[in-house]
Amino acid sequence: MDFVVTTLLNALTLISILMLVGLGLAISFGLMNVTNLAHGEFVTVGAFAVYFVQSIGGSFWLGLLAAPIAGAVVGCILEFAIIRHLYSRPVSTVLATWGVSLILQQGLELTFGLGAKPVTPPIEGTFDLFFTVYPAYRLILIGIAMLTLLGVVLLISRTSFGLDIRTVIQNREMAEGVGINTRRTYAIAFTFGAAIAGLAGGLVAPLAIVLPQMGVNYLANAFFVVIVGGVGSIGGLVAGSVFVGGLTSILNYQISPSLAQAIVLLAAIVAVRLRPNGLFNGASR
Amino acid sequence: MIARDRNWLLVFAVCAALAVIYPFFADGYQLTVIRDALIFGLFAASLDFFWGRTGILCFGHAAFFGIGGYIMALVTLNDAIPVGSVLGIIGAVTGAAFVAAIIGYFLFFGGIRGSYFTIVTLAMGVICQQAAISWSSVTGGDSGLIGIPPIAFDLGGMHVDLSQDLPSYIFVAAIAAVAVLVLWSISRGRWGTVLTAIQDNEVRAAALGHNAPLRLLVTFVLSAAIAGLAGALYVCMAGLVAPDLSGLLLSTEVIVWVAVGGRGTLLGPVLGAIAIQRAQQTISSFNPSLWPLLLGCVFVIIVFVLPDGILSIYARLKSLFKGRRHAR
Repeated sequence: MDFVVTTLLNALTLISILMLVGLGLAISFGLMNVTNLAHGEFVTVGAFAVYFVQSIGGSFWLGLLAAPIAGAVVGCILEFAIIRHLYSRPVSTVLATWGVSLILQQGLELTFGLGAKPVTPPIEGTFDLFFTVYPAYRLILIGIAMLTLLGVVLLISRTSFGLDIRTVIQNREMAEGVGINTRRTYAIAFTFGAAIAGLAGGLVAPLAIVLPQMGVNYLANAFFVVIVGGVGSIGGLVAGSVFVGGLTSILNYQISPSLAQAIVLLAAIVAVRLRPNGLFNGASR
Repeated sequence: MIARDRNWLLVFAVCAALAVIYPFFADGYQLTVIRDALIFGLFAASLDFFWGRTGILCFGHAAFFGIGGYIMALVTLNDAIPVGSVLGIIGAVTGAAFVAAIIGYFLFFGGIRGSYFTIVTLAMGVICQQAAISWSSVTGGDSGLIGIPPIAFDLGGMHVDLSQDLPSYIFVAAIAAVAVLVLWSISRGRWGTVLTAIQDNEVRAAALGHNAPLRLLVTFVLSAAIAGLAGALYVCMAGLVAPDLSGLLLSTEVIVWVAVGGRGTLLGPVLGAIAIQRAQQTISSFNPSLWPLLLGCVFVIIVFVLPDGILSIYARLKSLFKGRRHAR
């Protein structure tokens, strides 16, 4: 019994992180049609922000506050300097953002040096759930992720800015026609996605190996989440995260992580073949 | 013959002539440097054949290079297999083509195009590298496999042994030249025209009776097969195979070679590969971590300044002068 609960909670941890990383990607890739290969670096920047704050004597929570800010700053600069000039050139966006990703990775390596960076969790120890004992920090991580997602859902469905975003996504020309500044909306949405990814990086920092190159794994998985889940809805994001995160956690118990990754990739490819519009959006095209 | 084809053949002839006279002026070391660069040039041409004609970017092309390399290494290192070099090359080409066929079938017939395809192939590259590292009983793990013998086979009673610098250079240059010529004649003929039509408007091309997914799949498989061939050649020349050969950095570099040399020209990527590798060796000798940083900058610069590659400078200058004359 406790084995099942532990696996479930492990899956839930991964699913939470994937949802946060995938959210920004769903905004830029799914809705703005921008393929941002530097998205993984927002996660890296968030993790490094926590490390940096801790290394100068700050607490983990202060670092976790800095993580989304760092992600947002990098995202905002990226949007202003590069992405907004390339909305009509998808392949160029791929190349340019990949270039930025390399620059950020090497920049971090030159600034902070080689090797993995230690990040200590805010609380050690385990929490006694009725069925099993589980690391307390992971439970906090799941809680923060769920709250963030809830906040985003409310932001998009209840605020006037959320309405702007939904309008621009449905029909850009029409949105401009009724006086919405679409460029500004895109910029804010992109920055917002980067901030959430930065937060995910900060949350995952105590569990992961914090390296300048850590972003690419999150990038690949987050893209799977968005592709498998289908673009355009929070439901798709959740479905994709559960598919990728759940499968990965279950397989990780049985086989080596890289083989598990390969199987998840194959499963994702097959899923895309069978349900081209995403798991959540019906089978028809 | 249209002027563009004539120009291409002219440039090809000049390059071939340079490749022929090069051994008379170069010593052994310089020959091996150009030989290795030519192998990567062949690899770049294979990516360009797919990317340049279909407009779909494959971000994990090094996976096929690595698969070819590992198969070649495993076959030639196994003493039980006779004529290892020949079987190794055949195995490398089929292995890479087979993987491409499986992945391509699901993606192309699943309606995956554009950015989606780019991302799935990116992930494929990541996984290939991880698999090469973690499957250490077969692939040798992080350190890879060493001691791969040079290519040697019998051809019509003549024994070909490529352990020396000059024969291996001639072998590689000949294969690269033939491959580029073949790819070019395919892509300028009817096949290439249909691919261009699919790139422009797939629905319309399908309405005209062309099986678009099948065309894309066959092009992708051919491109992967040549990448596998390049990988097989490389490991025999280098004598070792390592996980880096299927890694993301090589996938990235090959895109830069193609983008700098000019996408869709087939010859430009070969020249781009040679030129950029020379630059890389010089820069890496100062500081190894400087190279990826510069690579990143090159990406951004290409996109904003030279979207059509270095060869486009000439075309731009020409149109500039033409424009002047016109104004007068």
